Amino acid sequence: MTSMSSIVLAASEHADVVPVAADGVFSWMWLLVAIPAVSAAILLIGDGAGDHGPLDRFGHLLGTAAAIASFVVGVVGFVALLGQDVAERAVTQDLWTWMQVGGFDVTMSVYYDQLSALFVLLITGVGSLIHVYSIGYMAHDPRKRRFFGFLNLFIAAMLVLVLAGDYLVLFLGWEGVGLASYLLIGFWQEKRSAAVAAKKAFIVNRVGDLGLALGIMLMFAQFGTTNIHEVGLNVTNASQSVATALGLLLLLGACGKSAQVPLQSWLLDAMEGPTPVSALIHAATMVTAGVYLVVRSAAIYDLSEVARTAVVIVGCVTLLFGAWIGCAKDDIKKALAGSTMSQIGYMMLAAGLGPAGYAFAIFHLITHGFFKANMFLGAGSVMHGMNDDVDMRHYGALRKLMPLTFITFAMGYLAIIGFPGFSGFFSKDRIIESAFATNFWAGLAALLGAGVTAFYMTRVMILTFFGERRWREDVHPHESPKIMTVPLIVLAALSVVGGALTFSDWIEDWLTPVTGSEHHELGVPAWVITLIIVAVVAVGASLAYVLFARRDVPDTAPQQVSVFTRAGRADLYGDAVNEAVFMRPGQYLTRSLVYVDGTGIDGAVTGTAELVGDGARGLRRLQTGFVRTYAAEIFGGALVLVLALLAVNLA
Amino acid sequence: MTAVTVVFAAMGLVALVSAFLVVTSDQIIHAALWLVVTLGAVAGLYVLLAAELVAWVQVLIYMGSVVVLLLFALMLTRTPTGPGSATVTRNQPLATVVAGATTVALGAVMWAGFGGEVIDEDEVRVGTAARLGDAIFRTWVLPFEVLSVVLLAALVGAIVLTRRGER
Amino acid sequence: MSAVSVQAIVGAAPSPIEAPDVDYATISPLLIILGAAVLGVLVEAFVPRAYRFVTQIAVAVVGVVAAFVATVVVGAGLDTVDGEVTGRGGPTAMGSLSVDGPAVVTWAMLLFFGLLGVLLFAERRLDGGLSAFTSQASTPPGSADERHATRLRIEHSEVFPLAMFALGGMMFFASANDLLGMFVALEVLSLPLYLMCGLARRRRLLSQEAAMKYFLLGAFSSAFFLYGIAMVYGYAGSFGLAEISTAVSSQIGGQNLLLAGMALILVGLLFKVAAVPFHAWTPDVYQGAPTPVTAFMAAGTKAAAFVAMLRIFFVAFGGARWDWAPAVWAIAIITMLFGAIASIAQTDVKRMLAYSSIAHAGFLLVGMAGLTSGDGVTSVSAVLFYLVAYGAAAIGAFAVVTLVRDAGGETTHLGRWAGLGKESPVLAVAFTIFLLSFAGIPLTGGFISKWSVFAAAWDGGAWPLVVVGVVASALALFFYIRVVVLLFFAPPQGDGPTVAVPSPLTWSVVAITVAVTIVLGVLPGPLLDLVQQAGAFVR
Repeated sequence: MTSMSSIVLAASEHADVVPVAADGVFSWMWLLVAIPAVSAAILLIGDGAGDHGPLDRFGHLLGTAAAIASFVVGVVGFVALLGQDVAERAVTQDLWTWMQVGGFDVTMSVYYDQLSALFVLLITGVGSLIHVYSIGYMAHDPRKRRFFGFLNLFIAAMLVLVLAGDYLVLFLGWEGVGLASYLLIGFWQEKRSAAVAAKKAFIVNRVGDLGLALGIMLMFAQFGTTNIHEVGLNVTNASQSVATALGLLLLLGACGKSAQVPLQSWLLDAMEGPTPVSALIHAATMVTAGVYLVVRSAAIYDLSEVARTAVVIVGCVTLLFGAWIGCAKDDIKKALAGSTMSQIGYMMLAAGLGPAGYAFAIFHLITHGFFKANMFLGAGSVMHGMNDDVDMRHYGALRKLMPLTFITFAMGYLAIIGFPGFSGFFSKDRIIESAFATNFWAGLAALLGAGVTAFYMTRVMILTFFGERRWREDVHPHESPKIMTVPLIVLAALSVVGGALTFSDWIEDWLTPVTGSEHHELGVPAWVITLIIVAVVAVGASLAYVLFARRDVPDTAPQQVSVFTRAGRADLYGDAVNEAVFMRPGQYLTRSLVYVDGTGIDGAVTGTAELVGDGARGLRRLQTGFVRTYAAEIFGGALVLVLALLAVNLA
Repeated sequence: MTAVTVVFAAMGLVALVSAFLVVTSDQIIHAALWLVVTLGAVAGLYVLLAAELVAWVQVLIYMGSVVVLLLFALMLTRTPTGPGSATVTRNQPLATVVAGATTVALGAVMWAGFGGEVIDEDEVRVGTAARLGDAIFRTWVLPFEVLSVVLLAALVGAIVLTRRGER
Repeated sequence: MSAVSVQAIVGAAPSPIEAPDVDYATISPLLIILGAAVLGVLVEAFVPRAYRFVTQIAVAVVGVVAAFVATVVVGAGLDTVDGEVTGRGGPTAMGSLSVDGPAVVTWAMLLFFGLLGVLLFAERRLDGGLSAFTSQASTPPGSADERHATRLRIEHSEVFPLAMFALGGMMFFASANDLLGMFVALEVLSLPLYLMCGLARRRRLLSQEAAMKYFLLGAFSSAFFLYGIAMVYGYAGSFGLAEISTAVSSQIGGQNLLLAGMALILVGLLFKVAAVPFHAWTPDVYQGAPTPVTAFMAAGTKAAAFVAMLRIFFVAFGGARWDWAPAVWAIAIITMLFGAIASIAQTDVKRMLAYSSIAHAGFLLVGMAGLTSGDGVTSVSAVLFYLVAYGAAAIGAFAVVTLVRDAGGETTHLGRWAGLGKESPVLAVAFTIFLLSFAGIPLTGGFISKWSVFAAAWDGGAWPLVVVGVVASALALFFYIRVVVLLFFAPPQGDGPTVAVPSPLTWSVVAITVAVTIVLGVLPGPLLDLVQQAGAFVR
């Protein structure tokens, strides 16, 4: 990555933004968070007495209304922001002082600027559509009220995340979305796989959160503040190594939340959650929080080349990794999840390019939000008609029976593979171009990824909607009700026209005050790259056509497959690695301790008690319940302590 | 070597030997009685250090009441008192090692701390009743008064644990 | 006996003892509490049984509230002392007590915990009109005598004066200015607690065993503490923290004596705060003791012992900081990790809370690694804040434990708690808030307190501790969330848990602690200001 060193980054470009105090419309921006939060509180806590109270009957409407109301506030704010002077588009409103110790204070504030505004629209807009869709999708679920409560909770937490003016407040939102995600993945608790998946998502995310928490600690220690704006100002005076450390720690956080290698393994399992959840949280919004974090911390990354390089590497690896997995999965949601991983890899790659790529990362994030939500909801619609079967090998020829679903899904498909004119075409194209302009290998990875994306998405398309019918006996596919198809239509429309954001460089100019901007000249004219991309995409799609449309699709997945397919099916052995590196040692540790406290444990706890024997036979039981043992422990501890202190002195 | 030093050494030896017998005796009553000897010898040491009041307190409280309490407890709880009654667990060798090591360690620390100290027995006046009274009722008056609270609490506790019948 | 000393006694002129100089107004909170305890003993002796329980409650509540008011008055009147560090107040009562900023804040905190404890002790609606304490401790468990005593509705109302004794001891412990006073205070606070642990109405054998264990091990660790004091006295020639500090900083020699003494004093204190490896008693005692006692003990003992520990190690041994700090670091790390991991394996709610209490001792020790003075978060202010937040949440959590019951009394097996969210959403939400606070989730007091101890430690250069602390919190969070999920989403076993309907006493405890936990998370400003202003210890 030598070519990157030549970039001299002008951090001052965006560090000199001076937030102005909120007035007028902007002083109501806190409503964005407050409305869904209050609604979530009502839905989750209120009316606990009866199972069929009014909240159970109308709770979903309340939740949806809250999301829409929040969206309306977001639109009003956005329009108002358009009317502001460019210099006054970063608006901040202090709500109250959360913490103040000496010179350090954390203010609960709403920080509304160009970047937040786009996110607010994405979150509340797509969120509202998914709420509407869920009314139909969850119509028969007895715990509908709770589901909508969780969704509202998620929206509120996600908005806290993007409206935070302080890293600590951002962390609050970060934890909140993690919690909501955990609760929603495991929403169908009775499914063991769902409970396990929720647990896994939670644990893997903790590793990432650790990075973020330590990063914030480091900021506090170095700068005495955690205000995002002030950190940005201070970091320019800090040493290179501090910026690098901060960048890497934040990257770890971003990897956890955004399912980037090496913390990618939870996302595929997270598909156990209800499909609207996969669409909203695990495709359109929450998983992109990592990208948001990197872009928001632009000031830090601008100063550390090492950190940026790390982001680029993570992005490249993940975009190929996800695409590979997407090729091998027969479960439609998992194929889409692999694709999500891969697309977020693109965003990360773009974000790692520095000011040249931040705007494109956000651009792709938004278009991806549209078309991926669209496709997930489409997949949900298909599953809805197929008795919740997710195996694409059991689909086929659904285009006639589900015309609306088919057409909208097709729009999403064309967008994601980057068919010229569709939104994904513009956003992906920009990223690949910038990647080539900065570093040849990154560009090549992105280009290759585009081809593979075309391949596996075509495969999904063909297996689902074309070919012969391979349904089970008792399945009667049918189009979904209007309440589900209308959001699909809206999202499909957005997938088509979303690319308009970049016309006359609108989004780049819009974001420049936040992210800075920079343009790298390519060695060749831009249209050459575009042509190459389109060609690669065409090759990928044709290959899939030849492989899947021309041949019969076996009902069960063939076992005699290449080593690549096998690896892809096994999520590239991500779990095996996790198990060997983290879980086994962890289990041994826990087991040992279980053994240590013999009196408090019975066999039912974790089922691990009986496994203890071999692993920990030599270990003495410390928590025996005998006073004499305890006294011996105290005595031993005291002896060690005395000797240690004396040894320190003698040494 | 003055007479006082000789007596001091003798008393110390008695205290040590009897303490050893306290933990090695295999009859629990014997152990308790050896404890009386130990405590008495220590009281003698106090006298030689010109701390008469402390010495008498030692005799009254420890020899007079604590050991008697101990014996009463043995009798009331009907603990076996015959030969072998004081051998408790099979961990005795281990305990010996631990106790020995501890003694050595503590002795070493004390030696390191006070190795060269010389006390002029004609000058020391810390143990007199006047000095103690002055200290207790002036400097340490608050801890002393609070100490009475411990006794009161213990008294209440004893009643709680033992009282029967209706009141 | 030498003839010289006899003459010295006989010949000394009967010089009158000068009356000690005690400022009664300054130590009035302590005197009020001990007075309430003594009054309680008299009530026990003279008030007829029918009115005794209620009278005891009244005496205790009035005493605690009066002492609280007195504390506020004392705190408001403290003079500011400017030295190397800013502090307020100073030694009083012949130097035995140091009524300074941290001491007054701790007093207020302990009295608050004491009030909540008394309210829990007074609850009589849960168990058919009887308190959580056994009818007659002297009757063998399960005997006819016991049933007889229960039928007669005999009650141990002595627990109130005992609690007041313990409270007085805690207050003394946190403000004692010399090692001797600390030892006395330690005994005053411990002895009543040992006793109260053995008085549970249900599962009496477990309770008695807990009391016995706590007593034996407590006495054992007190001996370490005392031996340490003796060694330090040998080193410095004084019990006073100020004099010891002078001796330490002037390096008068005999370092070994000092080091061994510090180590042994540390052992005694670490036992009280339940740090590994001196923690073994904690799960057994927390589980066996009557739950209201556990609540009071978990919050109060930890607070008093931590403040005392900070006082000894910052004031007296501050000059030898780099001798003891590595040991404290090591113990903090072991304690955090052990507490967090071991709690994952627990199936009993009370044991789980006990291990959580161990983990919190570790986090508090992290706070001890911070700076002692300065503009930002100091060790003292961080630890004080942490103690308030932890204590409130712990009392609240144990109060919830008293309410979840089945035919045999409280049901503490975690599995039996499944479905509590359906049975009593309010209670389940309250317990969730406490757990989230233990876990350090933002918007609860636990988050701010973890933040402040970590920030203090980081400022003090102890970043490895902070890293381990963050890892341990992450581990612990996983467990707490699992319990939350169990409460709300797991299918209930059998009929599910039964929630007893308590009197307003327990409800108010739960409500107050929930409010405190949330307020400290959302608006921690006032308390942070208060602990900041309390300043450093004054010797």
